Amino acid sequence: MSETFDGATVVQARGLVKHYGEIHAVDDVDLTVPAGDVYGLLGPNGAGKTTFMRMLFGLIRPDAGTIELFGRREVAGPVDALRDVAGFVETPRFYPYLSGRANLEILATLDRRDSAKRIDEVLEQVDLTERGGSKVREYSYGMVQRLGVAAALMRSPRLLILDEPTNGLDPAGIRDMRALIRRLAGTGITILLSSHNMLEVESTCRHVAIMRRGKVAFEGSMEDLRARADAVEYRLFTTDVVRAAGVSEAADGVANVRAASDGIRFDSTPEAVERLTARLGGMGIGIRQLELPRTALETLFFRLTESDGSEPVEAAS
Amino acid sequence: MREFAAVYRVECRKLLAQSRVRWMLLFLLVVPWIYIGLILHQDRLPLETLYGRYLKDTGYATPLAILVYASQWVLPLIAALIAGDVFSSEDQQGTLKTILTRSVGRSAVFWGKFGAAFSFTALAVATVAVSATLAGIVAVGNDPLVDVGGTLRQPGAAAGLVAASWATVLLPTLAFAAIAMMVSILTRSSVLGVIVPIVLGLCMQLYTFLNAWDTVRHVLLGYSMSAWRGLLDSPSYVAPLARALPVAAVYLLIATAIGFVAFRRRDVAGG
Repeated sequence: MSETFDGATVVQARGLVKHYGEIHAVDDVDLTVPAGDVYGLLGPNGAGKTTFMRMLFGLIRPDAGTIELFGRREVAGPVDALRDVAGFVETPRFYPYLSGRANLEILATLDRRDSAKRIDEVLEQVDLTERGGSKVREYSYGMVQRLGVAAALMRSPRLLILDEPTNGLDPAGIRDMRALIRRLAGTGITILLSSHNMLEVESTCRHVAIMRRGKVAFEGSMEDLRARADAVEYRLFTTDVVRAAGVSEAADGVANVRAASDGIRFDSTPEAVERLTARLGGMGIGIRQLELPRTALETLFFRLTESDGSEPVEAAS
Repeated sequence: MREFAAVYRVECRKLLAQSRVRWMLLFLLVVPWIYIGLILHQDRLPLETLYGRYLKDTGYATPLAILVYASQWVLPLIAALIAGDVFSSEDQQGTLKTILTRSVGRSAVFWGKFGAAFSFTALAVATVAVSATLAGIVAVGNDPLVDVGGTLRQPGAAAGLVAASWATVLLPTLAFAAIAMMVSILTRSSVLGVIVPIVLGLCMQLYTFLNAWDTVRHVLLGYSMSAWRGLLDSPSYVAPLARALPVAAVYLLIATAIGFVAFRRRDVAGG
């Protein structure tokens, strides 16, 4: 086992490869998760996120490459490597014929530490205190999801790996889960979060990696990402569509203007949009509404994941 | 060792929480009493069954007659029902990833599950053996037993023979449990984990009924299951047991080794 933890890097994956026959589920992935960060892992279905997370947990053996968690390399089985790690991959699963509390007791036994003392506390954290005695088969999908978070928190991890944690939650559950993630992040825990929801990643993560077809298409901070996704699509509704479209086409920093019956669409930056709206106002064209249908992250996400694969991998320095 | 103990405790708790296992243990506890109760309330005796003719003469005939049935198909069934889905149920419920991401390694999970399945299989065998002996003694009486050679065995000696006979079927029953777990790991199917050992046991039993090659018959678990009969002859002989128990041990070791290697190497990509 290598012990090279420098205190700054929690997850370090280098040259990770996993093939299933002809399918390259994970293809030469390098990824670094800084300590204390909330790190978002994005990608469409089949991008390799879940395979990567399963490799982190030692559930899948990589065909090539190395993973270090807190500087400990997974060479002799994951038990020691996972000492400070908890979380779940895909939907958390429990024994349906046991209660939520009994499931946590079983997991505490397997943890071989004083996790059991925290059962009440973690059930309260995920708002399952009242239903802790019910059998898991009677739980809703969202309750199972919350029990999964409770099972992870019971280990008092320094790295929390969450795969689509808001899946199946109702709007209030999503709000509470995001608040919980932010609260945990505030305690110094490093969180690796996989999600399809770009708004969620954008609002909670400081670093992000976007995977496509088993490869990392982008890795860097949210600021780097926003800087790269400078031209974002805007939708503008005005009192005079024809004149507004003409002014937009002539404006600096505005491109790809498309006029429709109710408004115009164009790609631009926040600064250029400020100048454009001021100019439209000055010309007596009323602005009814300005929309940003896609965030910076969404724009880059679709650009990276829907391209034909010829686009080079981007990595922030 | 602490990892093994943790998994073993968890697996025992899970097995006890399963209604199938609880009902099976209850069934094994009750059935001998029903069996001897029905025998005592009818005129005819199961004469074709070893010790069937003595069922109304001594209580020690009850566990031996039941052992005849049990060794043919009940014990493989018990082993398969307990052990056949110990691994595959984790696949079906998707819980293998849940336990493998805690503080126990795969080897500990494997041995803990094997240990718990073996313990419950042994508990089931002991339950039916003890229940059958008590049912016989209570319902018929603590009388001497006439062995296969015609010698009268006093109650104390008869009890010893009954215990020894049941003890000899434990190892082949555990071998069936190991086969069930191996199938469960390889196929990830609870249905196959339960059915394959039962079908295998029946096929082996059928072969032992044939006048076919003895060499083959002696390396089948069906032969190991019936090797106890030599203990009840006079003079008693242990040559069949000396052949049968190592055979059962080999089945157990090979099935365990294949299961261990497969479990250690597999990717947990589902669930």
